[in-house]
Amino acid sequence: MATATYPPPPPYYRLYKKYLEDPKSAPEPPPPIEGTYNLFGATYTTDDVLPSLEEQGVRQLYPKGPNVDFKKELRSLNRELLLHILELADILVERPSQYARRVEDISLIFKNLHHLLNSLRPHQARATLIHILELQIHRRKQAVEDIKRRREEAQKLLKEALGTLEGQQ
Amino acid sequence: MDIISQLQEQVNTIAALAFNTIGTLQRDAPPVRLSPNYPEPPPTAASAAEDAANIAEQPQLMSAALVKAAKQFDSLVAALPLAEGGEEAQLKRIAELQAENDAIGQELQKQLEAAEKELKQVQELFSQATDDCLNLKRPD
Repeated sequence: MATATYPPPPPYYRLYKKYLEDPKSAPEPPPPIEGTYNLFGATYTTDDVLPSLEEQGVRQLYPKGPNVDFKKELRSLNRELLLHILELADILVERPSQYARRVEDISLIFKNLHHLLNSLRPHQARATLIHILELQIHRRKQAVEDIKRRREEAQKLLKEALGTLEGQQ
Repeated sequence: MDIISQLQEQVNTIAALAFNTIGTLQRDAPPVRLSPNYPEPPPTAASAAEDAANIAEQPQLMSAALVKAAKQFDSLVAALPLAEGGEEAQLKRIAELQAENDAIGQELQKQLEAAEKELKQVQELFSQATDDCLNLKRPD
């Protein structure tokens, strides 16, 4: 039975011998990677963006352009989907051997639907950010009001205490 | 669950209902009579009645479920809070909110520093007053 030893530590630990006395004598940590990198034989990218449908080889059914009307397109895709399902049922009754094209159409519609929904995610992220910023501004305003109020109360108490002391004397 | 995840779940549900419907109908459909020379197979009494009932009601139930799922999807789409169009409008709003946030942050910082200064002053005076009390000095 062969047992493998643990791999040795990476050899550049020697460079950090005098780290406690002089933190600058040792090399800096490596900078963050930009662009693409290889991990366990697979290539990954640091630029996380939703690949467009054409890049995946899928036909895009809804009109391209800067501002897509998501609600309208989602609704019309939904209606087209139901029509295609009915078409598939009809084809299965009359010419059952030609199901393949209809099934492909249905899966195309599903891919478009999912792509539309995924492209709503950046919008959602920005809306979440706006909401968080608004909450933070509200909390900060509350805090400012609170501090002002407490300071005024403290001033009032001090004045009263002063008045009481002078009254006593 | 947020609305977009609900929409995605609904799409998957519609897909599942669709293939279950078509698959069930295809699997359970009775064979078609091709030629008058080959008679229909003799049906057994019990299975005939039950099959006829199932074959009649299954498509109805399944298609009703499918249409209900599609309507649910439509209502979810209507509930999408896509207030105004445009990535630029959102980015502009984010920039405005950030500027306001910074301003309020500065103000908060100023108030906080002033309050801490006053607190320190009061604490010093208080400790002085108590020291005087303890040593029975006359108040000046």
